[in-house]
Amino acid sequence: MVALNSYITLSWLVPAFPLLGFLITGMAKNRLKNNQAGIIASILVSLSFLMSAFLFFALRSSGQESATVTLFNWIAAGDLKIPFAFLIDNLSVTMMLIVTGVGALIHIYSIGYMHGDDRVNSFFAQMNLFTFSMLLLVMGANYLILFIGWEGVGFCSYLLIGFWFKNPAFNYAARKAFVMNRIGDLGFILGIILLFFTFKSVGFTEVFSQATSMHSGTPLVTLITILLLVGAVGKSAQIPLYTWLPDAMAGPTPVSALIHAATMVTAGIYMIARSSILYNLAPLTMNIMIILGLATAIFAAVIGLRQNDIKKVLAYSTVSQLGYMFLALGLGAYSSAVFHLTTHAFFKALLFLGAGSIIHAMGGEQDIRKMGGLRKKMPVTYFTFLAATLAISGIPPFSGFFSKDLILSKAFENNPLLYILALGGALITCFYMFRLLYLVFFGSQRLSTVHPHESPRVMTFPLIILSILSVFGGFLNIPSLFGGDSRFGEFLNKSIISGITEELGSATEIGLIVSSLILLGLVILYAYRIYVKKADIPVADGVSTNIFSKAIENKFYVDEIYSAVIEKPFGSLSDFFFNKVENKVLDPAVDEVGILTSKLGNLVRKLQQGNMSFYLFAMVAGILLFIIFILIV
Amino acid sequence: MKEISSAIQLIPLENYIVLSIALFSIGMMGVLFRRNTIAILMCLELMFNSVNLLLTAFSAYHSDPSGQVFVFFIMIVAAAEIAVGLSIVVMMKRNVDSVDINLLNRLKW
Amino acid sequence: MILLIILLIPIITGLFLLVLRDPATVRIIALTSAIVNLLITLGLIISVPSASYSVNWDNFMGTQFSLGFDGISLIMLLLTNLLFPFIILSGFTRSHVQIPVLNFLILFTQSALIGVFLAQNAFLFYIFWELTLIPVYFILLLWGGENRRAITLKFFIYTLTGSLFLLFGIIFLFQLTPGLHTTDFSAFNQLHIAAHTQTWLFWVLFIAFAIKMPVFPFHTWQPSTYTMASKQGVMILAGVLTKMGIYGALRFLFPIVPQGVIYWQNTVIIMCLIGVVYASVIAFRQTNIKKLIAFSSMAHISLMAAAMFTLNYYSTQGLLFQVISHGVTIVALFYMVHLIQERTSTLELPHMGGLKLAAPNMAILLLIIVLGSIALPLTSGFVGEFLIIMGLAKLSIWFAVFGGTTMILGAVYMLYAYQRIMLGDKNPALAKVKDIRTLDYFILIPLIAIIIILGIFPQPILNLVEVSVNSMQKLLIPANEVVTLFVR
Repeated sequence: MVALNSYITLSWLVPAFPLLGFLITGMAKNRLKNNQAGIIASILVSLSFLMSAFLFFALRSSGQESATVTLFNWIAAGDLKIPFAFLIDNLSVTMMLIVTGVGALIHIYSIGYMHGDDRVNSFFAQMNLFTFSMLLLVMGANYLILFIGWEGVGFCSYLLIGFWFKNPAFNYAARKAFVMNRIGDLGFILGIILLFFTFKSVGFTEVFSQATSMHSGTPLVTLITILLLVGAVGKSAQIPLYTWLPDAMAGPTPVSALIHAATMVTAGIYMIARSSILYNLAPLTMNIMIILGLATAIFAAVIGLRQNDIKKVLAYSTVSQLGYMFLALGLGAYSSAVFHLTTHAFFKALLFLGAGSIIHAMGGEQDIRKMGGLRKKMPVTYFTFLAATLAISGIPPFSGFFSKDLILSKAFENNPLLYILALGGALITCFYMFRLLYLVFFGSQRLSTVHPHESPRVMTFPLIILSILSVFGGFLNIPSLFGGDSRFGEFLNKSIISGITEELGSATEIGLIVSSLILLGLVILYAYRIYVKKADIPVADGVSTNIFSKAIENKFYVDEIYSAVIEKPFGSLSDFFFNKVENKVLDPAVDEVGILTSKLGNLVRKLQQGNMSFYLFAMVAGILLFIIFILIV
Repeated sequence: MKEISSAIQLIPLENYIVLSIALFSIGMMGVLFRRNTIAILMCLELMFNSVNLLLTAFSAYHSDPSGQVFVFFIMIVAAAEIAVGLSIVVMMKRNVDSVDINLLNRLKW
Repeated sequence: MILLIILLIPIITGLFLLVLRDPATVRIIALTSAIVNLLITLGLIISVPSASYSVNWDNFMGTQFSLGFDGISLIMLLLTNLLFPFIILSGFTRSHVQIPVLNFLILFTQSALIGVFLAQNAFLFYIFWELTLIPVYFILLLWGGENRRAITLKFFIYTLTGSLFLLFGIIFLFQLTPGLHTTDFSAFNQLHIAAHTQTWLFWVLFIAFAIKMPVFPFHTWQPSTYTMASKQGVMILAGVLTKMGIYGALRFLFPIVPQGVIYWQNTVIIMCLIGVVYASVIAFRQTNIKKLIAFSSMAHISLMAAAMFTLNYYSTQGLLFQVISHGVTIVALFYMVHLIQERTSTLELPHMGGLKLAAPNMAILLLIIVLGSIALPLTSGFVGEFLIIMGLAKLSIWFAVFGGTTMILGAVYMLYAYQRIMLGDKNPALAKVKDIRTLDYFILIPLIAIIIILGIFPQPILNLVEVSVNSMQKLLIPANEVVTLFVR
């Protein structure tokens, strides 16, 4: 055991590899040629993945539940002691595997995708920096190290969204993402500070061991959890801070796959699952999460129905799936949320990479109305995309079925109404995903100017691996209903304290599954009839007359509302402060003192007429007055 | 020195005070109401000397010589001042051919 | 004695420079003296636990020429001597105008600043405090930009007026001291002043520092002065001179009028936080980049001022850390602005854009400095602001919320500015802009290294001030231990 323990201390290597990659590709960005940067970056992230896998086995065989590796003291001021330490337990190892595993695949894919871009070296440097930050986030042994990663990934996301910085709209999207994340981050950091004042520590182990003895519903813990939730809402793009995510699609597609689907946006889920003990103490926050999650899941899914940009559809789908994870968190089913996170990382990364492959083939075209008939021309992309679509729709035995079904059944236990709403959202998801699939791959090609072709092997290889994971990923956690042992959930439950214990009766569960499957089948059939049989191509924006569908097409005007309610008034406030308060009140007020002094001087000057007799008279009169004053007083 | 003091003390102090006030007032009136600059300077001297007189008287009555020392200082300062003052008057006469104080009305700002 | 050497090196070198003619020699001598001073300071920090130097001045008003230091002075001394080599180095350009005089004035400023930070006597402090104004006045007046006369005059008179109050305060304290009156800080610190006296004396003493920092609403001299000042002028002003206000407040207010501080605590914090939000909001719409950074600096300084009055351990530590961090960041930022101005020959943001295409390395360096300024973790700004916000939260969560808006608003305006300078499509007017030169690397890389290293290893600085912060805490009532959720 001792030997294994000493291996765990090597865990600093996991983030060190991508950091090294960042330094190499960043420093030598003017010297590296062709694909060198991409190859270096991919190898280092793969090494990091191997290291994570090694840690996973080391941890499992050591029989320990967790291990803390302290590198050095970061901040120590009085009783505030924040070591730069990593916590290796089942949850963090799971996340590390996802981050490095999916990350490595996406890095490899990017070699092909970014080939020929003149800033490809910067791209890989930033991707490696992102991986490093994300690893800090999931490995940190206290909230502040987590926060370093938390802000770091936000910053990398800013860089990568605005990667093609010549386009002002992309820069705007990047800035929007960063600022919205920062709003959440303020809540998060306040939560950390309150946490410190409450528990006198921000380390996970210290905080959680103290929290176990606290009573449920303590106002302070509720406040802390709400503040942490604000951070999670910003990072994981929930209502009301979700609008940055669809805009974030301005970045290169691998970025969307890595950051805005598989890893960064799930940071909020990870953080809340990590703080499960605290959240169990705050029923109010849990209810807020249920409402937020469900609202986001349905709202984003509805918007996704009418989007025509392939990446925008996937973006809203991501927001929606994150909503499901929040729902699961709110229900106390943390391990289900992390399970869905895992499968979602597989199939959503796959969908994005597939989309990237399609965009690549279509010469940069992203409008699905102009695609079509790609099934024959891009068979690998088609089959992998199909696998991912089936997975996200929740068709058994694909991975999404297991994870989503778990969340749905937990919702049913809590309240059948929740179940119905969540199922509705799932049906909508199924519909827009198949709409996408049919429009892109079926029918005939609608844009004649391009000649689609299958992507190079360096791009299809990650697709294949990810599709295998998407198909079979669900078997990690086969529920007892199908004779499994929920291994994944049990594994995680060593680091997470689940909020619920009861299990559904198997009869009810089978009923639920069968009914949902029938509905899913009907939806797929309906989508097939509209988009393949009738070949109904969505009309251009603004043509539809129906108010409701128009609202959906315009994303319920949320961006416009934010702009009118927040951005514009903020600008006017800035102008008001500068033009009115600063330039009309404060600055003149100071100048006024000077002006007043010189006015007073002008006034007194009148006494100085130059008449000597008057001076003498004034002098004598003054002396007399003075004497009289002394005599009287 | 003793004799002088006692000689001074022969006359009651009130008389000195009244005389000084009278001289001072005459001098002040002269300064205020005369227009001839030389007359004004002379009136100034009168005021100085009224003060000197008073200082001497008090000094003798208190048998404290420092008052008389001050008188010497004042006399020296007065001499210096009158030298400057008279030279200004001479310059004035040369430049504007008059010694009327009201012609010096550009001494402002 | 070592303190006297540190104090005198710059001014003596400066006087010597006046007899020289060759600009290159002048610059190198000035730089050497600044570096030597920095090395001595570092040696002092590492090896000498305490040192003092004093000469009696014939008991004029009970003054003494006495120098000494504690952790707070050391931080300020370190900041001054750390920044001046870079400030002098930034003058290594082709310009040949009055180099000896300029370097003399810069070194004169350095000496005066060191005097302020080392003085152990209030009267001596005051002399040095006013002495800094003289060279800075000439630097601003002779090398300033548009409309420099009116702006410099306003700056001069404004700060001088504030100092006048300080002088009143010192004289008032002087006549309160027992026995043979004295103006030594040690004597002032032992005074027990009646509570109602402290309430007004607080403002008499604070107003000079509030103007120097500057704190809302005494800031109106600042934006125009920063905008007009030459690169070295603004680096001195923003990097070191504003910290004098913080140092003075720490030296005068807390030991001498503690009850006054506690009485006005919430008022001043609210004032400062208004300043934070106010300046951040204004910065958003500024089109002049120097003015934008001036307002951003004001927001940061206001936050530091708020931290100062929070009176608890975390924020005082954070404040002193932030003194170094902000000084380094703002100097780097203003140097960068100067580089941008040199290349684009404008300060107006709408005329820039697309600079990154022509000068990619410059863009990267600017981005790192911007990140330090918006307090991204692992830059020094984060450690300071985190501790400050923590201290504010200890007092009231709402203080922390408003103080924390710098995090959001800072990101809003700084990234907006970055975008408008660097990003965007090719700008034909700026297509032939050169990337940064070797000299700029010599200035920017060390500054950036400090920003990052202090972000990762903040401990040396925190340890340096630990003792002083603890002793300062003892002077004040123990800050409230429980977390209050609302303003008391």
